[in-house]
Amino acid sequence: MLETFVIVGASLAGGGAAATLRQEGFDGRVILIGAEPQPPYERPPLSKEYLRGESSFEQTLVQSSDFYGENGIETRFGVRASRVDPAKKVIELDGEEGVAYDKLLVATGGRNRRFPVPGLDLEGVYDLRTMADCERIRAEIGPGRKAVVVGMGFIGSEVAASLRQSGVNVVVVDRNKVPLRRVLGEEVGQVIEVIHRDHEATLIFEDTVAAFKGADRVERVVTQGGRRIECDFVVVGLGVEPVTELLADTGAEIDNGIAVDEFCRTGVEGIYAAGDVANHYHPVFERRIRVEHWQNALNQGPAAARNMLGKDEPYDDIPWFWSDQYDFNLQYTGFHTEWDEVIVRGSMEERNFVAFYRKDERVLAAVAVNRGKDLRRSMRLIKAQRPVDATKLQDPDVDLRALVGTVHK
Amino acid sequence: MAEFEVVLGADNLKEGEMQAFDVGGNKIAVANVAGKFYAFGDACTHMQCSLAGGDLEETTVICPCHGSEFDVTNGEVLRGPAREPVGAYEVRAEGGNLEIKS
Repeated sequence: MLETFVIVGASLAGGGAAATLRQEGFDGRVILIGAEPQPPYERPPLSKEYLRGESSFEQTLVQSSDFYGENGIETRFGVRASRVDPAKKVIELDGEEGVAYDKLLVATGGRNRRFPVPGLDLEGVYDLRTMADCERIRAEIGPGRKAVVVGMGFIGSEVAASLRQSGVNVVVVDRNKVPLRRVLGEEVGQVIEVIHRDHEATLIFEDTVAAFKGADRVERVVTQGGRRIECDFVVVGLGVEPVTELLADTGAEIDNGIAVDEFCRTGVEGIYAAGDVANHYHPVFERRIRVEHWQNALNQGPAAARNMLGKDEPYDDIPWFWSDQYDFNLQYTGFHTEWDEVIVRGSMEERNFVAFYRKDERVLAAVAVNRGKDLRRSMRLIKAQRPVDATKLQDPDVDLRALVGTVHK
Repeated sequence: MAEFEVVLGADNLKEGEMQAFDVGGNKIAVANVAGKFYAFGDACTHMQCSLAGGDLEETTVICPCHGSEFDVTNGEVLRGPAREPVGAYEVRAEGGNLEIKS
């Protein structure tokens, strides 16, 4: 009897996992189910080049549309999986007959957080996650149009930059003191703030939206601080929450996503998770982390697929992502929630630097602006988890690749 | 017909290093891999970052901006996000000089 492996989530993680099963020689049935109508596509362009109309939909596709048929991968795009019965090993689908599985990979990703703000459902108030969301925002873009961006995390910052680059007048409202404060801290956040101000985005910090107002569609944003901001449209970017409902009542642990071990396995036999939805035990950081970025989806989906085939390979990639804003290339690698000190190589003022977040003399993470080579080199440093001398981190003449294993005396 | 064009003294590009040159209107990068030279399009096909500004690991060049990897011997993509190959060009060390045919 041929086995059936089902993947829920026709995403970068899910699509990559399906392809990997075939590349690894799996000859059973592979069924790829996704709620969106499109075949798997990459999301990074949706806040950047695709939003600005500089790239095509085809360029975002994870695989060509023919790939799935040619590789014997059955697809159910535009179909929502609603429930899993782990005893019968059946997945229920909305409006279609359920499918039986031998092994299941959940790569359902995230959904945008929504807060109960009056007027959130008004026409012209958008958020950005899917290709459909992106098309709606694209249709609003034009020189001289007025937009309010709510939240200045990565999506808000990138959307604000893309809108400015497209000639839209932009006002950003964020509750923090600087952009990206939670992830990058205040110093680096200030660099991002200045970049946006230099591009004539209006930034309002330490204020939040009280209501979206308008007759037929949004016309202005009213803030808690009493501001009234006239606008043609709004993009809300207030973070993402993992889509875990599929595994409710299956016995799988849900804790900031679907909890999985280093092999992407849940506690339920035959069920795996990968991508944005997976809270994965990372062997380097020795704790669970949930990563909402491209590289994690790209590599963790295939890693999960190999483990479905019994390869027993722990997934231990060091998280990494980029965020292009205007002409600036920001990159981050590692994982940190707290740090003792931030050590800078290069110049924040000149916007050419890498900042290392160090704790107990170990580099946990690094962020770079226009200094990608050093950033990529620090990935190995982070993986090594060895004490590193601060003066060497600062010295631009020291090759970071040579620091792996350097012990501070 | 494109001709070979001298771009640099061959001794000036050390093993493991890369440098980009303007040759006939094209930005072309040259890599020195263990004494052998390879020439390829310098602009990453993803977002046009300079590949010569990235890292070279054996015959793989890694884009500094988004991590795309290319094979310097033929320009093929080894790892995304880039999807399209970069051009591969002829390069030779002639009379102590590096020459590229664009």
